[in-house]
Amino acid sequence: MLKSRFVPRKIFIDEECRNMPLTKRILKNLSQVPTETVSNPQRFLEERRISRDAVQQGKKDLFITSQKGEFIKPCPCTPQYIGCNYFIINLDLNCPLDCTYCILQHYLYDPLLIVHANREDLWKQLDAFINKNKGRALRIGTGELGDSLVLDHITENSKDLISYFRGKGPVLFELKTKTVNIQNILETEPASNIVISWSLNSPRIARSEEKNAPPVEERIDAARRVADKGFFVGFHFDPLIRYPGCEVEYESLIARLLNRISPGKIAWISLGSLRFPPSLKPIIQERFPRTKIIYEEMVKGLDGKLRYFRPSRLDLYKRIIRCLKENGGEKVPLYLCMESDTIWREALGWVPRGKESLESYLSSSLGNSKV
Amino acid sequence: MKKEQLDIKEIFLKDERYRTSYYFSLEKLKLSLQKTGLLHPPLIALRDGHLTLVSGWKRVLACAELSFSPIPVLITEEMDDLKTFIMAFYENLATREFSLLEKAEILTRLKRFGEDEKRIIRHDMPLLDIPATLHYLDTYLAFSRFEPEVKKAIHEKNMSFLSVKPLVEFSPRERKQLLPLLLALGQNKRKELLEDILEVSRKNDIPAQKILLSPEFQAIQESETLTPLQKADSIRLLLKKKRYPALSSMQDSFKSLLKKVDWPKEIDINPSPFFEEEDFTVRFTFKSEEQLKAGLLKLEELSARKDFAKIFKLK
Repeated sequence: MLKSRFVPRKIFIDEECRNMPLTKRILKNLSQVPTETVSNPQRFLEERRISRDAVQQGKKDLFITSQKGEFIKPCPCTPQYIGCNYFIINLDLNCPLDCTYCILQHYLYDPLLIVHANREDLWKQLDAFINKNKGRALRIGTGELGDSLVLDHITENSKDLISYFRGKGPVLFELKTKTVNIQNILETEPASNIVISWSLNSPRIARSEEKNAPPVEERIDAARRVADKGFFVGFHFDPLIRYPGCEVEYESLIARLLNRISPGKIAWISLGSLRFPPSLKPIIQERFPRTKIIYEEMVKGLDGKLRYFRPSRLDLYKRIIRCLKENGGEKVPLYLCMESDTIWREALGWVPRGKESLESYLSSSLGNSKV
Repeated sequence: MKKEQLDIKEIFLKDERYRTSYYFSLEKLKLSLQKTGLLHPPLIALRDGHLTLVSGWKRVLACAELSFSPIPVLITEEMDDLKTFIMAFYENLATREFSLLEKAEILTRLKRFGEDEKRIIRHDMPLLDIPATLHYLDTYLAFSRFEPEVKKAIHEKNMSFLSVKPLVEFSPRERKQLLPLLLALGQNKRKELLEDILEVSRKNDIPAQKILLSPEFQAIQESETLTPLQKADSIRLLLKKKRYPALSSMQDSFKSLLKKVDWPKEIDINPSPFFEEEDFTVRFTFKSEEQLKAGLLKLEELSARKDFAKIFKLK
């Protein structure tokens, strides 16, 4: 676990971002950390890529640069499976947490923690995007290419983003984390269209496969404090990981969760089972030689990714869903991440059709689609 | 660089520091030398008081077999091993393709002679058509440490990078045990077999060697009736059942159900790949209305059977 809040070893600053307000804020929050100005970002990044365990090195240093392309993108989901119409904001890339299964090890090309400092462009793009989709209960979040809160004491992103999205219902904005870095959230007024959510796993998996992340009980405790503050919270049991006895441990975790967090404060819970492109496997083997999670019985899915054999993952979903319902979560909206029609129908009894059916279903717990 | 005529016996072949090619046949080259003589002089350097061969191993060995002597050689005055080796590397780069193991030896020599690792990755690996990453460099360096008999098999079977890569994870003894199986299989099956052994071993914390020496594997390997290919295939299937028990069990149930209902061979029936969906595909060919009707009738008969309905509840 990160002993305290993350502090980078060094900050590299793209010359053209030197005077941006976010850069100044970061440097103020990390006044003790050495800095270096980078005049040729492309060459700098090429150099960084050639390193033994570049992924690990990339978790230590921060690079402040600008987003040249679009900040907002539809979540790519995966071909042939049901998507949940999520939109992602590519604000910060990469993560100092070091989860065995993390797709970023394979997906991100630049081995650095990257903060995009050109926030004025972000607000303009968000305005245009929301205007274009007026009336839709869009779900937007930042936790796809990095943890939403792990750098929050440095960037203070949560304050800016919550302030931007407050009052922009029916758009739902989600910050997704595994950390307990909630100080800024607790200092911010809640809004009914803001959801702070946690990725949860069984304590055993959290200990062995989610290096640098706080224990699950601390995450639940942080969620409770955020819910007590008045925010809606969400939970993502993703990736569910199979091992002997996993069902009992997930059930016990769910019972503890719903005992501590009122279901009425839970915006949604998602379930997804371990899946990854075959090309991630050698990376995991090299970086985490002692892990066994990639040696469970996984087969190629319709999208070419490795995932648990259908009957095995269906059994796991069914047990978890039954447990959620038996512990008071029967009204909490549940959805599956990157699953097939068959699994949706068998596990949840329905299959979302069309863009907006899942959106209105997921906004229902926040007081309907007009939050 | 001086050009000289040299008695071939004066070339000190025991010093192989610059050598990157092994396991080659000299027959065609000998034929060519007999017709045209040695047109391109090998490159020699003075090292530790010996005339050491830098490039032209095939030419020198072929000349020796043909008792050609003296032969023309070029003698370099360069004393730095790296610079000398780079001369040999570039000479060959311009004229021929390198095999997997030659690439491994080239990278090993560059590293041994002190070439900067980043330069090897960024500059030399692309010249060898190898992706410019440390991971690939490490893997190729590991290939060059393989035992001679393993290297010989890789060369003779022209094994691909992907099918050889898993061998890095095995001990020298395990690699030796695996050789007969590897020689019998094609690239894809070879890769699959190696990966399955490794994964069964890692999942169950059993050394790969223990799997290879287990009675069920030994029984197949010692069989006197099976051909090498049949042995390798039987071991591959045995490993599949260990690596994918639930999938294998469902595949077996599916096959036994088809057998039970006497499913006709002329109608193909297949589940969705890995049973990921509930769908099945049926396919048959026909060239007349009668054949079409007969096929449909057969399908109707089969689908009406109670035991066939179990296909929808396979577990």
